[in-house]
Amino acid sequence: MLGSMMDALRGKTALAQRWKCDAGDYVAAVSISKDGRLAIAGAGNGSVVGIELETGRECFRHLAHAGGVFGVSLSPDGAQFVTCGQESNAKLWSANGELLRELPGGGAQWVEHVCWAPSGGRIATAAGRKVRVWNSGAESPLEIEPLPSTVSDLAWRADGTALAATCYGGVHIWPFVSGAKPRRLEWKGSLISLAWSPDAKVIACGSQDSSVHFWRLASGNDSQMSGYLSKPKALAWDSESKLLATAGDSHVTVWDFRGKGPEGTRPIHLESHKKICTRLAFSPRRGVLASGSQDTSVLLWEPRRGTQPTRYARLEDEVTALAWHPEHRGLLGGDARGNLCFWDVN
Amino acid sequence: MKKIPVTVLTGFLGSGKTTLLNRILTENHGKRIAVIENEFGEIGIDQALVINADEEVFEMNNGCICCTVRGDLIRILGNLMKRRDKFDHILVETTGMADPGPVAQTFFVDDELRDLFALDGIVTLVDAKHVQLHIENSNECKEQIAFADVLILNKTDLVSEGELEILERRVKGMNSMAKVLRAQNANVPIPAVLDVGGFDLDRAVAQKPAFLEPEYPFEWAGTFEVKEGIYDLELNDGPDPVMDLVTLYLADAEQAHDKTAAERALRVWSEAALETTTSSVIEVGASQAASLQLQHAGTKHFTLRAPKAGRIGLYTQHLPSEFGLRLCWDKAPMAAVAEREFAAGHTHDEQVTSVGIHLEGALDSERLNQWMSKLLREQGTDIFRMKGILNVKGTDNRFVFQGVHMLLDGREDRPWGTAPRTNDLVFIGRKLDREKLTREFTQCLAR
Repeated sequence: MLGSMMDALRGKTALAQRWKCDAGDYVAAVSISKDGRLAIAGAGNGSVVGIELETGRECFRHLAHAGGVFGVSLSPDGAQFVTCGQESNAKLWSANGELLRELPGGGAQWVEHVCWAPSGGRIATAAGRKVRVWNSGAESPLEIEPLPSTVSDLAWRADGTALAATCYGGVHIWPFVSGAKPRRLEWKGSLISLAWSPDAKVIACGSQDSSVHFWRLASGNDSQMSGYLSKPKALAWDSESKLLATAGDSHVTVWDFRGKGPEGTRPIHLESHKKICTRLAFSPRRGVLASGSQDTSVLLWEPRRGTQPTRYARLEDEVTALAWHPEHRGLLGGDARGNLCFWDVN
Repeated sequence: MKKIPVTVLTGFLGSGKTTLLNRILTENHGKRIAVIENEFGEIGIDQALVINADEEVFEMNNGCICCTVRGDLIRILGNLMKRRDKFDHILVETTGMADPGPVAQTFFVDDELRDLFALDGIVTLVDAKHVQLHIENSNECKEQIAFADVLILNKTDLVSEGELEILERRVKGMNSMAKVLRAQNANVPIPAVLDVGGFDLDRAVAQKPAFLEPEYPFEWAGTFEVKEGIYDLELNDGPDPVMDLVTLYLADAEQAHDKTAAERALRVWSEAALETTTSSVIEVGASQAASLQLQHAGTKHFTLRAPKAGRIGLYTQHLPSEFGLRLCWDKAPMAAVAEREFAAGHTHDEQVTSVGIHLEGALDSERLNQWMSKLLREQGTDIFRMKGILNVKGTDNRFVFQGVHMLLDGREDRPWGTAPRTNDLVFIGRKLDREKLTREFTQCLAR
């Protein structure tokens, strides 16, 4: 397999590795601060690791959630971060790794998702059917009426003024501006992932029944893109909100939202991974997409220019996390064995 | 990578699920076990990871029954895999009223889980005393029994031996595939529960000689010595307007009810029967069954022609006594050299039953595929579970599979080696027509 992979990539340039370290176990989540200085990784053995992104120097390592970390999210100013894992509390930390306080999810269930609003001081947590929103500083959270079933993903509107959550049966949206009402986008199916376009116009969801479902929020119209071989868990929008990259098998399928698309159009197919593509991340720089796969490879693509990968890198196990440097200076990747690697891209 | 085995525990409230769970967790078996609970149980054990989750049954958009899965399991099991030191075993305890279908289907439908986990077995606890209240009218109760790989009749100290025997017969009639254990305080050997092996039809076959007893489409087989010539087959009025009949020549010491001969008769049976009236001639050793038309009242005479002298087997769909059937030579009824009745197994009512089919010979994979797809399309809703070990032409390996409703998971298993290459297939479900299933399965044999 390695041989054929290398054949496919002949002539392509390998990404230069800046540094590599051991997160200790399965890299479940990574988050990079807006200023590109700090990276936080959460691992399957329950630890969170703080790393200086430029050098790879480890700043701290703490046991955060015994049993395993599920999510990490840095605050926009990079001064704090929030984590969740196999326990009923989320945890708020300072950027230097000091535990500030615990955020109870509201029940006995694990807090499976945490998400810091891109602007403003709000933190959203999801545990079972309960979504809570914490204002920084405030002692008690705003608790939203429980969803019909367990929350499968959370996403903030790019300006932080609304929160969306998916579960079986649809998407729920709660605005945080006065006068606006909550909204519900219904669809009878098990939605498993959520991506809100940076321009806030479209919400896309992966569905258990091997399709991608999306809603145009202005009109409320929805569409379904099917034909995936398995459930499309990985979703990523480009910074222009024009391309939606999705993956439910070894192919990366990119839908183009320009003009009348993507309904009725043929998507761009990116084929090079040998196994299921598990992670997708668009660079903040226009049009560069990173994909990670169970086959341990990380590939860079420029889907508008061509359907062959432009650069590649390799980890040692299934790629489980990918995050870009906010100024496109590098790519951070993690795998199921605990390897954390930062590559230069320029 | 070895798949992690998953055991599903079902049973009505009070049947002893929590007791069994606690026994499994306290016993020193050296396994790291994670428990997913849908019901608040009193698990007093620290070393196990116990996860409480709401049971979330998801229907997919297309509304197909086989796409009903358990969302909570997909999510939790996916999360449990995010660590290097994995669990050795997963136990899922369902609520009392849970339908085991979606639980089992989850491990077939979700690609991620299918790659990482293997459904080892469904263990159903039955409260020997109180089950009488549910077994006749609760669909959940019937389904939990029907889906089981292991049935534990618990609390046997509360019922008499006679009641227990009746119950055991009743549950075995519904599910002939399951291993049935008796217990008082859920005190069963742990390996009998944890190491079932989803494909272990071998054990079912080994443990139940009765299960191996083939099911034939005929209820009676008689051996006769005949001369070359014309015989008269007489029937009086009987319970059915038509009856199928097969005749064949036997080898020297062979009896009609011998397995070798019965299998040959079965193959003839699998071909479309030839409509036969009193004016037609039945040829001994014909390649099709004769469908005797018995609509007219009174005694009916059919002509049976033996092209040569020898020993023949006569096979009838129903018992000869039901029709006063006799074979006559020169107006004198003949006595059979040997005869045997076979169990009439074909009940096809609404009840949950099992149909086990044992078949000699090699199967044609193309025919088998076509039959399976058709069967599951038409009857998948009524077929709860299905297991098989098959001898497919062209491979030296056993083909093993199991299914839930319309979903099948099959693969090539170990080589047959010196073991006899045969086919065993079991269905558990509602409205199962044993005769039709047997006939259609027989048609899948390679020619």
